[in-house]
Amino acid sequence: MKEVAFGQYYPVDSFIHKVDPRLKLLFLIAYIVAIFLAKNFYGLAACAGVLLAIVLFSRVPLGKVLRAVRGVTFLVLFTAVINVFFYRGDTVLWGWKFLQITREGLIFSAFLVLRILLLVVCSSMLTYTTTPVALTDGIESLLTPLKWVRFPVHVLALVMSIALRFIPILSDETERIKNAQKARGADFESGGLVKKVRAVVPILIPLLLSAFRRADELGDAMDARCYMGDKHRTKYKKLRFTWRDAIVFFVGGALIAGVVVLRVYLGAPV
Amino acid sequence: MRIVAEHLSYTYNPRSPFAVRALDDVCLTVEEGEFFGIIGHTGSGKSTFVQHLNGLIRTPASLKRRKRKQASPVQTLTVGEFDLTDKKTDFRALRKSVGMVFQYPEYQLFAETVKEDVAFGYKNFADKKPTDAEIGLAVNEALSIVGLDPNEVAGKSPFDLSGGQKRRVAIAGVIVSKPEILILDEPAAGLDPLGKREIMELLHRIHGAWCKTVVIVSHDMDEIAENCTRAAVFAEGRVKYCLPPRELFKMTDELLALGLDIPLTAKICLALKKRGIEIDCDFTTEDFIAKTLALKGGVK
Repeated sequence: MKEVAFGQYYPVDSFIHKVDPRLKLLFLIAYIVAIFLAKNFYGLAACAGVLLAIVLFSRVPLGKVLRAVRGVTFLVLFTAVINVFFYRGDTVLWGWKFLQITREGLIFSAFLVLRILLLVVCSSMLTYTTTPVALTDGIESLLTPLKWVRFPVHVLALVMSIALRFIPILSDETERIKNAQKARGADFESGGLVKKVRAVVPILIPLLLSAFRRADELGDAMDARCYMGDKHRTKYKKLRFTWRDAIVFFVGGALIAGVVVLRVYLGAPV
Repeated sequence: MRIVAEHLSYTYNPRSPFAVRALDDVCLTVEEGEFFGIIGHTGSGKSTFVQHLNGLIRTPASLKRRKRKQASPVQTLTVGEFDLTDKKTDFRALRKSVGMVFQYPEYQLFAETVKEDVAFGYKNFADKKPTDAEIGLAVNEALSIVGLDPNEVAGKSPFDLSGGQKRRVAIAGVIVSKPEILILDEPAAGLDPLGKREIMELLHRIHGAWCKTVVIVSHDMDEIAENCTRAAVFAEGRVKYCLPPRELFKMTDELLALGLDIPLTAKICLALKKRGIEIDCDFTTEDFIAKTLALKGGVK
């Protein structure tokens, strides 16, 4: 209970927290583009610098930011190892049968690892500083053009926000059911794979039942209040662009431009 | 088995913006054989406290460090011979001795038949694999004591039963391992008056015969007044009072100030007192009626 509170959101008041979610989403896309446009370490350094500024301005503790990286440790290590051994370069430093470590390989893996880390940290900064509700609002607003081709944007946003809303509820529920079964002597830790999978059944069945029950109740409650989709609906919190968003917009633009310039004038790392 | 808690504190999500201090220096002793009540507001820490009692929530590991420094009073929590602040405690044995019925326990049912569901706890706690006959016997006994007919319900799916029956099955699933202490979190919540009364009667059947000690968490003051030998009032993570109902419900103003209710009998006593009639009862309906009837002659 209460262990997973609201996804990843870290509730403090900061410049980054106040930026319009639409702009944050666009900025993330721009940032990803910039990372992939960067051909050399100068470009990545520029990206890293911008990210560092974001982290500092967001007032999210550094430990929390690094925790996001921990989740991809395996991916990062795997990429690094594969590239170190299999990248074919000219300056061979060490070789054994088909394995080969080259200077270019080392540089290239360092480059890739840096890329992945920047990518992960930047996307987690989005979820750290934006509430799930604001995020879905932003996505709905950004997808508005699709409404012209009759794509049900509003329904999609609703599905997303309900799903997000239910994550803490269901994780609470899981905790409760798990505790109840533990109190009846259920053992989730020991035993082999088969035993562990079987041990999940007493949690899964009550959890599924409760999820269906909740979905039913929510549907009824929405019907009872005459929910009709997005026809004639107004928003409680209207999204508006402010001077903060202008700054973020220009930083994003400048980043892409800068990376392109660095790419053209300074060339590849290897 | 006695339950002894001293200076027990617990914080959810420590050192984060979500930190909630749920227990704050709780000192409480429950003697063997009691029918103990725990009352308090939502969020007063009562559920957190009872979850400590069978090790579902454990006092954090930093405890040992604090023990050495002696900066704050040493937290201790023992249930019988189990020391719950010790990491090496056998929690399986503990959970066998301390049964725990959660709020709305019917939502934890999962098996295909009632028999299988009730047998779940029995099988988990058995020292060696029990035979089918042993399981059948234990299940039948547990179902009978919660007031269900084993021949009728044992083969049914638990999801085909009524709400009250489901709850009894869930309680049977906990008491089947014959715990010495039975803890129930809001056992009668969401039931109709008859269902509530039946659950309380069932608890009295269990108390003594099956489980030496019963601890209930409740919002219903009538329930506490009628059944409990003692009751503890939780507020903001602390134990405010711990008294027999007879004395507890005399403190009407204090309880109301905490946002709690008082039993119906106490309300009537209060109203009568305003009109100059003093009744000294222990706030059970039976005693209240007896005392009131004895008074009858004296009232104009």
